[in-house]
Amino acid sequence: MDLPTVKLTVIGALELSNQSRSDETQIPLTDSTALFGQNGHLDSMALVALLMDIEDALQEQDIEVSLSDEKAMSLSRSPFKDIPSITQYIHDVIAAQA
Amino acid sequence: MQARNIMITGASRGIGKTLAEHFLAMGDTVIGVSRSESDIVADNYHHFLADVAEEADAKHVFASVKKQLGALDVLINNAGIARMNAFALTPINNVQEIMNTNFMGTFIFCQKAINLLRKSPNGRIINLSTVAVPLNLAGEAAYAASKSAVETLTHIMAKELGSFGITCNAIGPSPIATQLISGVGEDKINKLIQQQAIKKMAKVEDVTNIVDFYLQPSSHMVTGQILYLGGIS
Repeated sequence: MDLPTVKLTVIGALELSNQSRSDETQIPLTDSTALFGQNGHLDSMALVALLMDIEDALQEQDIEVSLSDEKAMSLSRSPFKDIPSITQYIHDVIAAQA
Repeated sequence: MQARNIMITGASRGIGKTLAEHFLAMGDTVIGVSRSESDIVADNYHHFLADVAEEADAKHVFASVKKQLGALDVLINNAGIARMNAFALTPINNVQEIMNTNFMGTFIFCQKAINLLRKSPNGRIINLSTVAVPLNLAGEAAYAASKSAVETLTHIMAKELGSFGITCNAIGPSPIATQLISGVGEDKINKLIQQQAIKKMAKVEDVTNIVDFYLQPSSHMVTGQILYLGGIS
């Protein structure tokens, strides 16, 4: 799966998150939006929900991955910081599994 | 009440089978899971042959449910095995078998169910424990320890899944005449019953009653609880 396709999947999952958020807490779908960590829009359970939605969307394309392993959670530079970093991380996980 | 999609593990006999028949009679759709075939025949009953302790089996079950039904409202982790033995004499492979089915099976099925349950307006997880946990019953070290793990899992899942609108509770039945305790001597059962506030054998219907309570939409504030039958605490 190429990077632009992974990014579309991530944005699709974020759009799903936005559906259950109030107008004031909508997540802007831009590359510079902080998702997780300092000033991030997602708390830990919202991140879990987002990762589950992404896994679900990938599963529908017959791609089985686990995105929340211990290694990812403990990396000094969180792969869940923003849309570009999540996209790159998922792309790498899928590539490593292929 | 709107019909629900209810998954029950260990549905081919005992408490699981009674629960399946109870919900089918109420008009719900039941997804039964067990290692053996089921003799339940109903239009809204779906049976999957699976070992709850096998992640691959669980993946297959949930992928099929998602494809066929698209939604899940309730997961009841009823599948369980018991082996009575003195701690000093318990074969290690028995301990592994008990932990795999009772704890790992519950863990795996809960984890796989979250994505479907969180889309339900009243997502519910109900785990089966036992009074052997609070009573610290001699001769049930492995079984009680596995259910103790299930209770801790229930408490922690309740905290983590609350934000998804999923409640997670458990039931600890006192002795009920099912196949699970068929190998236990009458004397031992009677001795156990004497430790209860209500000194009589429970019925499967007593479990059904608590399950119905947990499933009510109005029980949305009830989570992380372990309810024992017979007045054990």
